[in-house]
Amino acid sequence: MNTIRASHLLKVVLAMSCVGAMLSVQAQEVDVAAAEALAKKSNCTKCHSVSAKKDGPAYKVTAEKFKGKADAEATLIKHLKTGPKIKIDGVEEEHQIVKSKDDAEIKNLVRYILSR
Amino acid sequence: MRGLLRTLRSRWKLVLALTVGGFLASAALIVAGAAGLAYTSTEAFCTGCHEMRDTVYAEYKGTIHDQNRTGVRAICTDCHVPREPVALIKRKFEASGELYHHFITGSINTPEKFEAKRYELATHVWKRMKETDSVECRNCHKSDKMNVELQSAKAQARHAKAKTENLTCIDCHFGIAHKEPDGPGPQELFGKAK
Repeated sequence: MNTIRASHLLKVVLAMSCVGAMLSVQAQEVDVAAAEALAKKSNCTKCHSVSAKKDGPAYKVTAEKFKGKADAEATLIKHLKTGPKIKIDGVEEEHQIVKSKDDAEIKNLVRYILSR
Repeated sequence: MRGLLRTLRSRWKLVLALTVGGFLASAALIVAGAAGLAYTSTEAFCTGCHEMRDTVYAEYKGTIHDQNRTGVRAICTDCHVPREPVALIKRKFEASGELYHHFITGSINTPEKFEAKRYELATHVWKRMKETDSVECRNCHKSDKMNVELQSAKAQARHAKAKTENLTCIDCHFGIAHKEPDGPGPQELFGKAK
């Protein structure tokens, strides 16, 4: 009986370690310098700040909004790549399209935003 | 009065020496002051301390105000020191506080200490710019000389909004030459410009 419990406990510990390791790998995967460079190049910073008020929501606000949502990355990638209609002070305009064709680079930017 | 004049006449050599000496001393003081003001406004002086060189100056390198198509640059003093004589001297005196912190308290003498103070230091700059309607920005960026037609539609809309809402440059254009600090921005901290 004790052997079974110990084996269950071991499995749980192993599973938790794996999840922890995956999360930490994911967190480490964000190349902050590259993300900030692409954000600047794409003029994101003209309307968005990391934490302060500008015409667009701060990255922290976006990160909070999408916290725990499975489709967060996909939604934001689509948002950046397609230039959807947005409203600023009630006036509709097209969102700037990210200045990159490299999916990995765009994904890195999205992960950067979501990790703020 | 006549006695005084007589005395001065009899000691004309001393009077002449004092006048010429006083003039030369004043001229030397003025030249030294101007040279001091000019020297303390150079990039070399501002980056003479590691507190600036390794942090904000390193961040500024490669930004639009450092490197761009035309090669026209805005160095530290262009953005952080006003050009008007009285405001300039006032700012220079205020900067002596920075010397105090450099030599006595060492308040930002490590990268960790600098990061801990980054937001506070940024708010000092934002506050000053809000109070002066971003005078340092406007020394180069004259809003009445902007060719609006050459601006993007988005920029036109934002600038029109800024005018209507009495916003100043720093309200939106913060964190452009240095890392953006973590926390509320100028609009949230100080409201509309004066």
